[in-house]
Amino acid sequence: MAQVQAGIAFQRRKRKFGAFSIINGLFFLLVCFIILIPIWKVLVDSFDLTTGYGMKLWPERFGLAGYISVFTNPTLYKPLMNSILTTVGGTFFGLMLSTLGAYVLIQFDMPGRNFLAGALLFTMIFEGGMIPSYIVMRNLGLTNSLWGVILLPAINVYNLVLMRNFFEGIPVSLFESATLDGCTPMQTFLRIVLPLSKAALASIGLMFAVAYWNDYTNYKLYITKETMYNFQMKLRSIMMGSDLPQAIGGATENTVQNAAVIVAILPFMILYPFLQKYFVKGINIGAVKE
Amino acid sequence: METAAKVVVHKAPLKARIYKYRWFYLLFLPVAAFAVVFHYLPMFGILYSFTNYKIITDPVWVGMDNFKRLFSMPNFWTAFSNTLELSIVKLLLNTFAAVILSLLLNEMVNLRVKKLAQTVIYLPHFMSWVVTASVFQLILSPTTAGLVNQILLKLGVIETNIYFLGDSKWWRTAYYIINVWRDTGWGTIIFMATLTGIDPGIYEAASIDGAGRWKKMWYITMPSLANTIITVLILNLAKVMNLFESAFVLQNDAVMDQAQVLQTYVYYQTFNSGGIPNYGYTTAIGLFRSVVGMVLVLACNFASKKVRGRGIV
Repeated sequence: MAQVQAGIAFQRRKRKFGAFSIINGLFFLLVCFIILIPIWKVLVDSFDLTTGYGMKLWPERFGLAGYISVFTNPTLYKPLMNSILTTVGGTFFGLMLSTLGAYVLIQFDMPGRNFLAGALLFTMIFEGGMIPSYIVMRNLGLTNSLWGVILLPAINVYNLVLMRNFFEGIPVSLFESATLDGCTPMQTFLRIVLPLSKAALASIGLMFAVAYWNDYTNYKLYITKETMYNFQMKLRSIMMGSDLPQAIGGATENTVQNAAVIVAILPFMILYPFLQKYFVKGINIGAVKE
Repeated sequence: METAAKVVVHKAPLKARIYKYRWFYLLFLPVAAFAVVFHYLPMFGILYSFTNYKIITDPVWVGMDNFKRLFSMPNFWTAFSNTLELSIVKLLLNTFAAVILSLLLNEMVNLRVKKLAQTVIYLPHFMSWVVTASVFQLILSPTTAGLVNQILLKLGVIETNIYFLGDSKWWRTAYYIINVWRDTGWGTIIFMATLTGIDPGIYEAASIDGAGRWKKMWYITMPSLANTIITVLILNLAKVMNLFESAFVLQNDAVMDQAQVLQTYVYYQTFNSGGIPNYGYTTAIGLFRSVVGMVLVLACNFASKKVRGRGIV
């Protein structure tokens, strides 16, 4: 019997490492290669002081001048700081609104709950559009203000619904015993709900953070003053050639452009391997549950 | 009589229930305030579409004039059909590529290699559209610095550099490839979730019955994926009118006939038109887009209820 099983196991293993597996493995090697090559090429050129040549996948004359140009340029400091500020601030407000909204929406017995949920969901179906939003923002004095680009994306109904899905997984008995112990709704929220939802806070917080860091549309619409640009806006004008930082130390224009792209994705690239599971968790909750 | 008694027993009077939940209403206040300011106030702004509104003067009611003007504009119809074509082709290509990639990922035996491959293929999704456009502007550049042109020249496929992003013959191809590059990997997550949910016992039973790899893929894996594929298509079809940033950062004057979509049309007509913009006119374009979008969402919601028993919103 054992022999037969070993035989089956052996057969299986043999088939597993057959020609298909090898071709499949090579295919994914190719896929990863295609995905990484463009990024690699930009990275290489950001370190290369000679004028870029397309087929080169290793720097010809290595140097940091591109990065020095980016970091020593005073016009790039400010955008970088603006990016950090709006990402931190926006993630805070985004998480605050999503958790509060989600916490209220799981109170099934609350009068008017369906109305509130419906009112939020309706904003996903219909919108006033770009220009009415612009007029409202302008009338509120939120154009050319970092408050505008922080507050506007903070109300994200999709993320709020994801948060609600997480919260629905918390056992009702916990809420009941907290109420019996004399917790006010706010205390229950802070002491029970939030500590139990660390994974949700991490994955939805990350979604907010990435959205804020990558935000370009809202800046393009609501910010015209260059002192309030974030790094994406600055990168865009560098790439359009209108606003190239002074190239120093023998860096070419091409080197500086490539270095600016790398600086824009650097924080994420460093954190990504550690945070990947939270991103995946977030999307799966959204997909699997309603 | 009995049901009435039940209601009385189980449900406290409305006033008492509202009182019981009074703090929750307070907790909801910030959310309500944000939703009203950033979503509901702009909705009232659609009234501007029936006016001529040039910011410096008060809006003047003109009825349907803006819509009449709009529907007679060839540029508007180009933008409308571009929006539909770009987002639908993009959706189909991305979904198709993601399904293929998921099926192959699912066949991977070595879990470490699989994890590594997944880490790499998710990566581009997190790059902003500005960064994505910058990267491709650099590697698709029609100069000696452009990687793609140099490779194609070397292989003898082309004889002179092609300006992929600045040539209306090539722009769409480049746009679709960039989209597949960026979002296929991310798209596999939802399919992988379905695939890992399939009971391994079914595969084992099929193996015992003598089914090979392809038969199993065709008769077990594909049918289980079908529902997810339809769901993904429906969910994304509802969003086709939202296309903006990806087209905006990749387009340029030379390819506008291919690349102009409704949102970018609104943007340029308002903020970059040269003259004094008529906010009423551009609001009308936006309203048209919102209404078409809403119809699509409701249609998809209906389809979703039919197909999988629950709506999308």
